[in-house]
Amino acid sequence: MRLGLAVVLLAGPLAAQSVQGRLAGRIPSEAVPTVDSLVQVARREALPTEPLVQKALEGGAKQVPGPRIVAAVQVSLSQLRDARDLLLRAGDRPRPQPGEVTTVAWALRRGLPAPVVERVVAALPQPPRAAAMHAVADLVAHRFDPDSAADLIIAAVQDGLQGERLLDVSTAALHEVQRGHTRGDAIAIVRMQLPAVPVAPRPTRSAVARARRPGPPAPP
Amino acid sequence: MNTIDPRIHQALDGELSPDALPPELQRAIRQVAAAADLLAAPVRGVSVELRVMAEIHRPAPTWARRVARWIVTPHALTFRFRPAWSLAFAAAVAVLTVFAARGGEPQLAEHEGIAQFVGRFPDARSVHVVGSFNDWRAGSIALEDQDHDGVWRATVVLPAGTYEYMFVVDGERWVPDHLADRLVADEFGRENSVVIVRPARR
Amino acid sequence: MDVRAAPSDAEVVARVLGGDAEAFGILIRRYEAGLLRFATRMLGSRDAAADAVAEGFVRAYRHLASCREPQRLRTWLYRIVTNRCKSHLARRSVADVPLDEAPPVADPSDTEATLERGEQLALVQRALTELSADKREAFVLKHVEGLSYEEMAAVTGERIPTLKMRVHRAREALLKALEEDA
Repeated sequence: MRLGLAVVLLAGPLAAQSVQGRLAGRIPSEAVPTVDSLVQVARREALPTEPLVQKALEGGAKQVPGPRIVAAVQVSLSQLRDARDLLLRAGDRPRPQPGEVTTVAWALRRGLPAPVVERVVAALPQPPRAAAMHAVADLVAHRFDPDSAADLIIAAVQDGLQGERLLDVSTAALHEVQRGHTRGDAIAIVRMQLPAVPVAPRPTRSAVARARRPGPPAPP
Repeated sequence: MNTIDPRIHQALDGELSPDALPPELQRAIRQVAAAADLLAAPVRGVSVELRVMAEIHRPAPTWARRVARWIVTPHALTFRFRPAWSLAFAAAVAVLTVFAARGGEPQLAEHEGIAQFVGRFPDARSVHVVGSFNDWRAGSIALEDQDHDGVWRATVVLPAGTYEYMFVVDGERWVPDHLADRLVADEFGRENSVVIVRPARR
Repeated sequence: MDVRAAPSDAEVVARVLGGDAEAFGILIRRYEAGLLRFATRMLGSRDAAADAVAEGFVRAYRHLASCREPQRLRTWLYRIVTNRCKSHLARRSVADVPLDEAPPVADPSDTEATLERGEQLALVQRALTELSADKREAFVLKHVEGLSYEEMAAVTGERIPTLKMRVHRAREALLKALEEDA
């Protein structure tokens, strides 16, 4: 009985940290221990672990072989490390928040150059910065110059816009391009509108009424 | 032989009697008539009555639905390049994708929003959306095509945040969301679509 | 047994505009076979045809008040569906025309005549699909749907000499295709 209790006591904290339970049956079994080890490495480095678990689950869902899943999780881990290092360089000390590490990893994955990301981090000393990063990334994805895109969003922040409203700023610039302006002109036009860029339309009542929460998965 | 004897046309247009024509011209007339006869065969097994009446009885689409419907009408969109006009509408839909209506919608918590997923899959038997909002579990978020027009939709309550996802058609074909203008490499050789769910507002 | 004659198109339109939405079903049942056949020949696909015809009927319902001559409803419906077909064709790339009227798979109960007819239909449909949309539309309206040139002008908005020219060219192309296959 005492041995059993000791096993339970020892297994407790380890079990809380292990993600093997979430991965079992979802990814090839031979990959589970390695992915779990990578997650533990991330945890020890105070990096967010959920992106790694999600990457593994994604690979399992897409029926990717175990070694490739492991490789993808390793890539994700190194992306998180790059994001953390960038935040440290930009002044998020002594330790960047996990949410901000995820945000910066997103920004880098979406193609923002590291120096631009650093500028945005430095211009927004207080997290969260997710909306700002995505707003800049939205513009860059549509071939706006990264520095000009960052300038616009930083200007919007300085004019008092924050959070989701920064996505409205990038949307406004994209609309100007759609109306036929060059990207440079689009930025200038929106800059003059700040802070009064149009607000994103709300979903209709019927859309909200129709919305449902994800249900239990279908039986295999 | 580029043009045929004009008497063939005159006969087929009812301006001339075919009986008065030489045999080879009568043969051409019979060929055209036979082709028309084949084409006039009824198209069996198809009726649009039910779907038309169902659409008629449905309330007229909101502007959002009309925009979404206009977007999903194929306009030769390709995976990487999108004409600027589609982007603006896609942005409107993507944003429409997400935050609560007036404060006070009882079913949405402060940190939640809604995401609308739309895709055109005319021949699909089932369409699901799978992503980091449901642990990449297939089958938990099914899109519906209630009027059988090939356009599949789902409106989903999700916690605010950024998610990667793809559509899964017929349980086996993974397809990116062609309306989503945010893409990231999935590290498995494909690209995932990205949706940003905005939180409810008061 | 109800011995009243079936209501005329004008009577049905009046009922629908008066609020009896269900009466629109009479018009659907009356015209869908012809419209489906027309759209199938235009688009080469039963499914695409069903989409185009359904869209056409829904539009007709929503804009029924603008049908100025209910006694010429048939022409009006054909015009709407013709436009729907043009819209489908414009969205579809040239190389992407489906031909789902393939010869049927052999079934022991099929007679040789049925199979041969199916193959001939496929041949004719293929020849039709190689025509430009304008010529295909003109041929089908004239020879399959049996419209007069005057009715075709009302459906398409084109002048009669233009329509005649298209029909003539379509016949020539069809005859050439049939000769080549023989």
